Amino acid sequence: MAILGRGAFARWGRILAAGLWWLLLPAAVAQPIAREYQVKAVFLFNFTQFVEWPAAAFPAPNAPLIIGIMGDDPIGPFLEEAIRDEKAGDHPLELRRFQRGEPVDCHVFYLNRSETNRLGPMLDGLGGKPVLTVSDADFAARRGAMIRFLNENNRIRLRINLEAARRSNLTISSKLLRSAEIVKDTR
Amino acid sequence: MSLRDLPIRRKLIIILLLTSVVVMMLMRGAFFTYEYLTFREATVRQLTMLGGIIAANSSAALAFDNPADAREILAALAAEPHVKVAALYDRNARFFAGYPAESPPSAFPAQPNPDGYRFVASTLQGSYPVLQKDLRLGTLYLQFDTGAMLHEFLWGSLRIALAVMAVVLLAAYFLARRLQQQISQPILELAETARAVSERADYTVRARKWGLDELGLLTDAFNQMLGRIHQLNQELERRVVERTAQLEAANKELEAFSYSVSHDLRAPLRHIDGFAGLLLKSDGTTLSARGQNHLQTITSSAKQMGMLIDDLLVFSQMGRAEMRYGPVDLHQLAEETIQDLKAQNPNRNITWQLAPLPTVRGDRAMFRQVFVNLLSNAVKYSAPRDPAIITISATTDSTSGEQVVSVQDNGVGFEMAYAHKLFGVFQRLHRAEEFEGTGIGLANIRRIISRHGGRTWAKGELGVGATFYFSLPPAAPSA
Repeated sequence: MAILGRGAFARWGRILAAGLWWLLLPAAVAQPIAREYQVKAVFLFNFTQFVEWPAAAFPAPNAPLIIGIMGDDPIGPFLEEAIRDEKAGDHPLELRRFQRGEPVDCHVFYLNRSETNRLGPMLDGLGGKPVLTVSDADFAARRGAMIRFLNENNRIRLRINLEAARRSNLTISSKLLRSAEIVKDTR
Repeated sequence: MSLRDLPIRRKLIIILLLTSVVVMMLMRGAFFTYEYLTFREATVRQLTMLGGIIAANSSAALAFDNPADAREILAALAAEPHVKVAALYDRNARFFAGYPAESPPSAFPAQPNPDGYRFVASTLQGSYPVLQKDLRLGTLYLQFDTGAMLHEFLWGSLRIALAVMAVVLLAAYFLARRLQQQISQPILELAETARAVSERADYTVRARKWGLDELGLLTDAFNQMLGRIHQLNQELERRVVERTAQLEAANKELEAFSYSVSHDLRAPLRHIDGFAGLLLKSDGTTLSARGQNHLQTITSSAKQMGMLIDDLLVFSQMGRAEMRYGPVDLHQLAEETIQDLKAQNPNRNITWQLAPLPTVRGDRAMFRQVFVNLLSNAVKYSAPRDPAIITISATTDSTSGEQVVSVQDNGVGFEMAYAHKLFGVFQRLHRAEEFEGTGIGLANIRRIISRHGGRTWAKGELGVGATFYFSLPPAAPSA
């Protein structure tokens, strides 16, 4: 094993957990959907490494960085796995499930494609707070979400609305921008 | 032609050039080693730097699974032609993207190496972690073709070394040509002077002194020696002239003396002898027997003195006479002399033992004189013996090559204490009444033998006998 680092144990744990999850899913759909959620969960975690939040977004320098999802989002277990024991800088990562209608108070928020109709009200509700909004809903980026997952040839591609991120005082690494497609608001 | 036979100029130049080359090679070698180590270090640094940049740039491509982007980043390596292979591996050590992009996956290592670098064959391989903040996202593998780099480096280094060496050698050669004169010039002049002295025997020339070093001292010593030789030579010549003049004067005196001996002394002697004879003839009968006896004694004494004068004349002649060189058969000479002596002494019982004698170069008449004197001496002093035994033999000295002839008798002999007196003029070890003789014979022998370059000596024992020797040098002297 070439890579042995601080995340070795956690990674193996994640892989093991993912494997268990697949066993619980109906066999026909389990493989591709599980794989997609797994990749997206890892991407969500990776975002925390490539995005800078303003200091004011955290109550303390070592306060947790919170990733929020809608309560019953199926990505939940994958995400839990992906961020276990990980950190972004000094901030430990934490997953929080929000109920529909509950005010969203977190640093990264992921909205599943199935919740597409909630995207607009939710973005309005955040109103410029330093929350990285991620969604795989159609036209999510053009509608004001900062990052959209796009499925292209079985690969997850990214679309980034840079202006939206800037409005919320978030700094996205140029390296991340480099491997993504930049789009603008259309509304 | 070996180095030691070369002229000193070239020897010096060769030594200086050889020294320069060796020094330069050693310096170049040390410098090259340093350069090589620096080169390796620089290569590693270059690889590490490149790796760091590429790894930092590829983090997002790995994090967000974008191999196309990764390939694009790796494609920037085209700017560095020594990078032959590069590859990115994801966090699970799976191949992610490669450079050159068109290479098949089999062209890349299946798994990344442990972090760090290592030299494998003619490549330098480095593995660098791809990190975002502290998060490890994968591994970058880079491979330098150090073979080509080393080749370039070596050629560059060699070209510079050769160029420098050529320039330095050229400079060293011209410098050596000039500087070697400091040493070679005085030596060459010294050698030239020495040659002039030995060829022309001209001791007035002097070597030029160039400096105060050892060569200067040598030149001084050489000149002093020349001066001394010159001085000694002149003194010697002066002395030779002086002595020659003295000798000539002495010789003239001697000749005058010989003349007076032969004429002035013999005239009155003839009168004494003649008148004594006349007296005996005319008045012999009137004289008493005793008076007749006295007259007899006067006559014999005068005759004795005449013989003495004759011998002295021969002796002086032997010293001055011109030598006539030719082969002399000593054996034949000895035999003739023995025959003469046998005839002269018919009443004696003598056993002659003659061993073979060599033929030598010399004056036959003189050698005859030698044998006559030596053998008649032997006969004379062995008179009391019956039989007398006289042995003549010759040997060759093994070390000096001298030929030694000896004449041995069993006569009355002599005491060795007086041996040194034997060969002197008028030196006699026996009274005249006992053995008649003038005391000149052995002196004559010595004179003749020494004129032939030889030596004379004798051994004897009183009452037992005597042995007389003469030696001749291996090659007879040329007149």
